[in-house]
Amino acid sequence: DSHIQYERVGADVTMKCGSMDWDAAVTWMANGTDIDDSHLNGSYLILKNVDLTQSGQYFCYEGSSWHLKYQTILRVGVPPKEPVLMCRSNNYPKGFYCSWHLPSPTYIPNTFNISVIHGTREMVCEKDVFPKNRCHIRYLQLFSTVKYKVTLTVTNALGKNSTSLTFDEFAIVKPDPPESVVAKPVPNNPRRLEVSWQNPSSWPDPESFPLKFFLRYRPLILDQWQHVELSDGTSHTITDAYAGKEYIIQVAAKDNDIGTWSDWSVAVHATPWTEEPKHLTTEVQITETTSTSTSSFMPPPTTKICDKGAG
Amino acid sequence: MAAADTPSASLRHHDLCSRGIRLARKMRSDVTDLLDIYVEQQGLDASISVAAVEGVPAAAAERWAEQTGTQRLLDNLAAYRAFRVLLAQMLEEQREQLGDANGELGPALAAVLLQVSAFAYHLEELLELESRRTPAEEGSEPPAPPRLSLFEQKLRGLGVLRELAQWAVRSVRDLRQLAKHGPGSSAALGLADSQ
Amino acid sequence: PQNLKCVTHNLRKMVCTWEISSKRRHGQTEFCYNTNDLPPLCFKTKEKRVEIPVPESFTTVKITTYSISGAALATRHFEIHKKDISFVPLAPHILSLTPDLSTSTLTLKWSDNGSTFPYGLDASWEIEILRKEPMENVTHESYNSKLTHEDIVHSWNWKSDMPLECTSHYVRIRQYVNVTQFDGHKVWSDWSPLEVVPGKDTEPHGSGLFPQDTVVAVGSNVTFCCVHEEGRQVQRMSYGAKDYPLIRLSSRSSAIRVLNASASDASGTNIVCRMSENGMDGTVLFVGYGPDIPQDLSCETSNFVIIKCTWKPGRASGLYGVRGTKYSLFESVSGKNVSCEVNEMKKERVCGFPVLADQKTYNFVLGVSNPIGQTKALLLVDLNQRVNPETPEKLTVYGNSSTSVHLRWFINGSFAEIRLLCQIEISSGHSEQKLHNVSMPGGKFSTYTAQLNTLHPYTKYQFRVRCSAADHFWRWSDWSGTEKHTTLEA
Repeated sequence: DSHIQYERVGADVTMKCGSMDWDAAVTWMANGTDIDDSHLNGSYLILKNVDLTQSGQYFCYEGSSWHLKYQTILRVGVPPKEPVLMCRSNNYPKGFYCSWHLPSPTYIPNTFNISVIHGTREMVCEKDVFPKNRCHIRYLQLFSTVKYKVTLTVTNALGKNSTSLTFDEFAIVKPDPPESVVAKPVPNNPRRLEVSWQNPSSWPDPESFPLKFFLRYRPLILDQWQHVELSDGTSHTITDAYAGKEYIIQVAAKDNDIGTWSDWSVAVHATPWTEEPKHLTTEVQITETTSTSTSSFMPPPTTKICDKGAG
Repeated sequence: MAAADTPSASLRHHDLCSRGIRLARKMRSDVTDLLDIYVEQQGLDASISVAAVEGVPAAAAERWAEQTGTQRLLDNLAAYRAFRVLLAQMLEEQREQLGDANGELGPALAAVLLQVSAFAYHLEELLELESRRTPAEEGSEPPAPPRLSLFEQKLRGLGVLRELAQWAVRSVRDLRQLAKHGPGSSAALGLADSQ
Repeated sequence: PQNLKCVTHNLRKMVCTWEISSKRRHGQTEFCYNTNDLPPLCFKTKEKRVEIPVPESFTTVKITTYSISGAALATRHFEIHKKDISFVPLAPHILSLTPDLSTSTLTLKWSDNGSTFPYGLDASWEIEILRKEPMENVTHESYNSKLTHEDIVHSWNWKSDMPLECTSHYVRIRQYVNVTQFDGHKVWSDWSPLEVVPGKDTEPHGSGLFPQDTVVAVGSNVTFCCVHEEGRQVQRMSYGAKDYPLIRLSSRSSAIRVLNASASDASGTNIVCRMSENGMDGTVLFVGYGPDIPQDLSCETSNFVIIKCTWKPGRASGLYGVRGTKYSLFESVSGKNVSCEVNEMKKERVCGFPVLADQKTYNFVLGVSNPIGQTKALLLVDLNQRVNPETPEKLTVYGNSSTSVHLRWFINGSFAEIRLLCQIEISSGHSEQKLHNVSMPGGKFSTYTAQLNTLHPYTKYQFRVRCSAADHFWRWSDWSGTEKHTTLEA
């Protein structure tokens, strides 16, 4: 049974042909290919400054009898760098999850170990089946001023590294973006668009833990967004849209009292209602169109709807 | 005693809850500002961790979702009464330590103390609406503050304000739970399957 | 017998020792000596040392060794001259080593055993202070005294550059006596045994950050130490926002040294020690200035009830609250002392002192102190020469004449013992303002009147009044409010 031998990139590797003497006649093969004598020192195989390509299976046979005297699997890799760890609560107040990745590959197997300490209490982090680099922690306490400390340790055959995060319960609360965003023109209102959306399904109890929303919209022809913050409700009517211009609209969410804004929702597009063209005199239309297109563009002020009262 | 669940009681209950939530959110915002002033004036590192401070009601709650409405009000009332004493002690300490040089800290601390007192009174009103007798305040003379070094005193003050900020958030949540259900419903008010 | 050596500790007796070179086992030794032409004295001893008197000039010695069976083995003669004798004072005995934690001062007391020596010898002392694990010399101090043939207890203070709690401080002392007339070899005594003031780092659960909540002058150098329990490590120590290099004092104590400390904020500068296992300790340092001598101290009275003293404080101390600068006004004639309420944020300083019955002269001492220092200012005041009356009130003008009016006003205060000089300002329409002075005896919280004649008939006039002390003018009061009056037609 061949064992696995891990070596760092750039290392010098010496393999002995099992119990064979130094001066015994032997043949070394790597991945089915003979290794030429330049790599041999007597019966020892010398690999200088190994690189990733030299990973593979190595066999050593006794010169004349071709008896297999030694075999190994060489895995060339690097020790793990400090892992990148992120913790977030998108389903407050149920719990939070932590996910991690390595900034660069190690080319050899790594094992991750995570510990979550809250004050003096160690908490269980239930690992996800998929994706593997994520686990969940249930809040046993709410409104705690005691910080959470999460320490992630990554180990492989060539080394070990770790990172840790210390945070307050409320600091990592970040909902998922709002879902089912819909934008519709409002008949007979060339400057209005009706936008509606839903609380992210991952947010467990919007009634007890209401979210507030941030809407941004702009005509495709402009780069400057307009924003409006809404302290409750899941719909809003844009009343200052440019007639006939296609708009791009996105929404973000945040807990009413703690944490940070979600990412922006999926963008939706809509164009305000425009009057159906009449069959009679077309000249009238032309003169009318010419006059409107020359008006200068003034960005409408940002609209801020105040907090219409709590609850 | 008027029945707890008459239409007028419900309207008053919802009004008290809504006003309580606004007061708690304002208090939280002011406490957060006060924390910044305090950290800066006391020359502390904002990220410094403070162990649990003796005599300061912890906002942390286990199985918070399962609490009854009355339990929420009683816990809140006890906490804000305690904070009223603690903030008064802090105000006295600032006067003693900083004299006339307490800059923004003194007035900001006094303003939050007023809000805490108002909120405690507000909770008493809610409790009375729940046809509950408001628990008497423990004894007239508040416990003397422990003898601490100046640095411990600074950390203790930080601990008090951090805990108060958390209580303000908790109070908003508690009052929302109460607002969902009418007055006099001491049933468990909370998330169906959380915690 | 060989290598005979004699040492005296007290200039009267000397201890002589010798060596025996032969390998053979020997029994007793006979020691004979004679001094100053006296007959020899002999005695037997098993030791190789004897104590005999110090000779005036020299002593002859004969040492004979005997075998176990009593047969004489060897005899040797010696001549000991004064110059061959060494004078080594006995190691001093420390009576006490007392720490004053509040000032980080050690007080060492020891007896100089003066009674051992003749009168009037000069004695030198070396005091060594050691610290740290492993022990290091901190300082080597010298101290001189005169021996008076009596046992004098000496006391010597040393202020440590770090709090005594930080780590154990060890002290030892040795002595040198300058016996000019002794021509033998003179050397320092042995060191006394070490006396120790144990640090907090030797107490089983001793811990803390020292010094605790102290006040120092700007520019001071301060050492802070973090004492912790066994098994913990200090990871870093910061002064304000800056980390400082750690100095290891012992396995349970580390220190930092802050040089030339600058003025701290009102709430002081935090010193934080962060240890392993989330351990943390802290203290606060207040860095400020001692009080300046008050400038322009001036005292006056506006009502003969209260004397109001004002002064300029000079440079701000940078210390507030309980550590702020305190002012007190002491009057030496009456012996009365008043402490002054002062607002540190305001520039001007005011203090009130009650006017005392039957006392005209006041010898004030304005005492100023804060934790860093104290100072004072003096002022001798003749109160009658420092009257600045209150503003005249309730001025009324009346009269039913075309050329004269009566004015009446009230002054809050007790001026019964002085004369007042009051000035009435008369203005009317286009004509130039006129001032009319009138003096009158002062009254006690009373009303004053004056009459003005030679006015023009049927003319609109405006009057206001101010007063001062008639004798020894000091300051006018503020003007009263203005009163209008029109004279009757002619």
